[in-house]
Amino acid sequence: MLDFLSEYWSVVFPSAVGIAGIYLLLPRLEKRYRILGAIIGAAGLLLAGLLLIGSEAILAETILFYSFSGLAILGGGLMLSQHNPVHAALSFALVVLSTCGLFLLLAAPFLMAATIIVYAGAIVVTFLFVIMLAQQAGMTSADQRSREPFLACLAGFVLLIALLSVLQKTYSSTALDALMAKVDAIARAKTEVDLVRILGRPAQNPAGNRSLPLVDEVKKVLPSFDQDKVENANGYWNERPMNVAKMAALFQDIQKHVEHEFQLGSLQPPANLPLSPFSGPPPNKEGPHQLPAHNVAGLGRSLFTDYLLAVELAGTLLLVASIGAIAIAARQREGLR
Amino acid sequence: MSPVSLHNFLAVGAILFALGAVGFLARRNLIIMFLSAEMMLQGVALNLVAFARYRGNLQGQAFTLFILTVAACEAAIALALILMLFRRRKSLDVSLWQDLREPELEPIVDEEPLPAPPEPVELPRLTPAGPEPEHPREEASHV
Amino acid sequence: MFDDPRNYLWLIPVLPLLASVVTALAGPRWLKQQSHWPCIIAAVCSCFLSFLVLRAVNSGFEDFKRYYMWFEAGNVSVGFTLGADGLTAVMLVTVTFVGSLIAIYSIGYMHHDPGYARYFAEISLFLFSMTGLVLAENFILLYAFWEGVGLCSYLLIGYYYARPSAAAAARKAFLVTRLGDIGLFIGILLLWSVSDHSLDFSRILNNATEIDPGMRIAICLLLFSGAVGKSAQFPLHVWLPDAMEGPSPVSALIHAATMVTAGVYLVARCTPLFGVTPEAQLVVATIGGFTAFLASLIALTQSDLKRVLAYSTISQLGYMFLALGSGTRNEGHFLAGLAVTAAIFHLFTHAFFKALLFLSAGSVMHAMGNVIDMRRFGGLRHVLKKTHWLFLCGAGALSGFPVIFSGFWSKDEILADVLEAGSPGSVGSFAYLFLFCLGMLTAGLTAFYTFRAYFLTFWGEVRIPHEAGEHPHESPPVMLVPMAILAVGAVALGLILGPTGVFNDFLQEHWMVSAFPHLLPFKEHHHNLLLMVASGVLALVGIGLAWWMYVRKPASASELAQALPGIYGLSRNKFYLDEIYNAFIVKPLAGFAQVLRVIDLYVVDGIVDLIAQVPRWLGMLARPVQNGLVQFYALLMMLGLAGFLLSVLMR
Repeated sequence: MLDFLSEYWSVVFPSAVGIAGIYLLLPRLEKRYRILGAIIGAAGLLLAGLLLIGSEAILAETILFYSFSGLAILGGGLMLSQHNPVHAALSFALVVLSTCGLFLLLAAPFLMAATIIVYAGAIVVTFLFVIMLAQQAGMTSADQRSREPFLACLAGFVLLIALLSVLQKTYSSTALDALMAKVDAIARAKTEVDLVRILGRPAQNPAGNRSLPLVDEVKKVLPSFDQDKVENANGYWNERPMNVAKMAALFQDIQKHVEHEFQLGSLQPPANLPLSPFSGPPPNKEGPHQLPAHNVAGLGRSLFTDYLLAVELAGTLLLVASIGAIAIAARQREGLR
Repeated sequence: MSPVSLHNFLAVGAILFALGAVGFLARRNLIIMFLSAEMMLQGVALNLVAFARYRGNLQGQAFTLFILTVAACEAAIALALILMLFRRRKSLDVSLWQDLREPELEPIVDEEPLPAPPEPVELPRLTPAGPEPEHPREEASHV
Repeated sequence: MFDDPRNYLWLIPVLPLLASVVTALAGPRWLKQQSHWPCIIAAVCSCFLSFLVLRAVNSGFEDFKRYYMWFEAGNVSVGFTLGADGLTAVMLVTVTFVGSLIAIYSIGYMHHDPGYARYFAEISLFLFSMTGLVLAENFILLYAFWEGVGLCSYLLIGYYYARPSAAAAARKAFLVTRLGDIGLFIGILLLWSVSDHSLDFSRILNNATEIDPGMRIAICLLLFSGAVGKSAQFPLHVWLPDAMEGPSPVSALIHAATMVTAGVYLVARCTPLFGVTPEAQLVVATIGGFTAFLASLIALTQSDLKRVLAYSTISQLGYMFLALGSGTRNEGHFLAGLAVTAAIFHLFTHAFFKALLFLSAGSVMHAMGNVIDMRRFGGLRHVLKKTHWLFLCGAGALSGFPVIFSGFWSKDEILADVLEAGSPGSVGSFAYLFLFCLGMLTAGLTAFYTFRAYFLTFWGEVRIPHEAGEHPHESPPVMLVPMAILAVGAVALGLILGPTGVFNDFLQEHWMVSAFPHLLPFKEHHHNLLLMVASGVLALVGIGLAWWMYVRKPASASELAQALPGIYGLSRNKFYLDEIYNAFIVKPLAGFAQVLRVIDLYVVDGIVDLIAQVPRWLGMLARPVQNGLVQFYALLMMLGLAGFLLSVLMR
């Protein structure tokens, strides 16, 4: 337990602070904790931003990502703490809009539009209609209290740290940052002098051979990268004059490998599995993968080839759901009750 | 590496999901419970679209479209049911529906009553000065 | 086929058994008033076959046969072995002959009773058990049939089961005889342990002298305790007077002629064992003599005719045991042969005259509308002429009227044997002498109370109780003819078989010689004329006294009763034995049973209920989880998931 905490403290601590804030923000009879809850919640959010998503470069992408995700989480917190259901529905609309912004960042413009139209346009409006139809007289006790706030927050907290710790364990490359900085520098090196400065001299390694220390480190930390290819670096070093381009290319390969692995994780479908190419390049094929430029056309092709049956079923589901909703909620004639 | 990579988006999705779970478990208003459930779905959709982007594949986005469809159907039916429940008890409190409990258990009711709404303040009324004027008939029609 | 008795020996018990089954199944529905036919046919056939067996034994047949292996378990091997020798033949003839006559009598007596078929089924079952008992050749089979006759006695005493007194009497009979049966069973077990794990008569009784003397005394006393229960000796005699709640033919068959003689048969059969255990024999004789005296004292003042006869049965059985216990050693001779012969002869004659007396009492009851209290009727010799003469034959035989009645000869033989045992030179002679005096006194009392009952019933002014209806009528021929046959037996058989020695010789030759050769040589039987005269005079004196007190001067009886209130009270109330038993045995046991009942209800049931409550409590612990709130359920699901994830993460 303790080593779990020490390993994942950067996940547990912000989550704890954030959930504590949420606990204080949940509706309760005494009103004095709300400000405190808001402050704690905001602190948690900031901590999370700093610790979990810490990065060096400030790009437009980063700013947009931070603002959209911060807005989404703020909207979620707002929704939980509102007494008035109308305010809660409007906060939910805020959440949806922020998520759509994130969709746009993720190169899914059609989904952004569809979500705004369907979710924020139709579903939230339907919720507001139902709130209008189901008006309660004044503020009821149901809105003022919450059911088991502590246990619910505990459950949410555990769920959150479970998810986030798994994510960290899979994707966290901070252990590699120093190494990757050097690799990055070599990949961008242009002259032999830079290479010599960064790589240093070969030394005796525990296996008994003479090898560059960086090569050993790469071999140790990245066992999934082709070990023989890394050995080539030693060979390139011994050449006079040093082949800068090849050395740089090798380290660019290492960079791409790390990027690939730490972006998508180490669990991949086996290479001999025939996966359909209609939705884009199959995941088990090598090579850079990028989304098609025409999002709507690609989505349409994917839906009507790979997911045709699902589309038809979804249509049927919509039909049935609409008939069902009408049948359930139709107002009965008073005499037949 | 780009500063914003896959796991950042996945973390945001996880946080939205957890917040939605807490809201579903803690709030007692039926509408807000379902809104929290929809927020959980949003987190999941974010997850899927992030994976689609980073794998270069449209499967995630297609799946998100289906999530959208199902969420719409679910909202329709759920709101119809909420309307029916409201018509029975004239309240959106989910704690009123405890009939499936064990027969010998007592129903769980809120112990402390709500604080009473503030008494409407009796504002002083001035005595009318002079007789009430006649209201012409045309003015009444503009109301 | 009829030459070899082994071919038809098994039919003697099986025919009544079949009749019982047929009557039980087909009687109530189809046979109804004809239900007596299977029983009569079976009884008469068994009687015929018994006579054939008698003839075969007389001509020297000695063998027996194992018909079926019942069970074998380790050291014990028990089979359905039936065999016949002299003793068995005599018993068989007695049982089946008297039984057939009583069954024929029952046709008339039970004519209007709704349980007609049940009665004959039970009678047939009884005949099966009794014949099986005397035919059995090993102790386990004997014990099985012993219990069978006990069961039939219970069924038949409680025949009028709707009457609480009858049901209680049946229960009393069963329980009291059960006390004796326990001793019998323990005795059988001891026999099994000392006799090399065999229970056949031949094996055990032939090697009787090899048993350790202390063990022999114990075994004999235990076997005798079974006889005490079944044959109603003191202290287990209390069931027999109450057993008169059953119909009169039942009293005649079971409680006069056959079942109560099973004890006598058992002790007679075990004579090889008793004969070499003088201490046990002394105990047998003492109890027999004491019982005879006690019962005759009680019979002096009873007002119920059947009770008088019941107590006289107890008394006569006491005589038989007195005889059986007199078989001691006397100066190199063994008196066992004489003693046993006397007892069996008395059993034989007693069967006839006691059955006759009970059937006559039944006839009186039949005419008087089921009234049997002698104070309510009188002078019946003018009303029931034939019954009167038949009763007189039986009364004369019971009281030992000299020469012409059989009871005189058999009782005289017994008294002669007791006197012989009391002569100097035999073991325990002083005790036997005392018992002899007691026996003579009892003979006088017997004559007195028998004729008291006779005079009270049949002499004096004619009084008819109102239950008798308009005109009390004599019994139909179907009832009178068996009684007449029994009367002939009561009168003539004694004279024919007794003094001529036919009976004694038969038993001696065909049974005793092969059964207990170690008790040879037997003392030769000679007639003690002085004793015969003395006992005859005693009988006449008793009869005369009864005539004086109840015919000549009827008031003298009540005057005597008022003069001696203490003794009268003791005799009338059966020496308060029932009350003593009730206070000292029945009530403590009932209290103990109540205690056990309380323990069973509260402790045993309490523990079981407590164990049954445990799942309920566990359920109550788990029940609050189901409180009907949807969010609570979702919370539990989420917590479960959270726990699961945590455990996976931290592994």
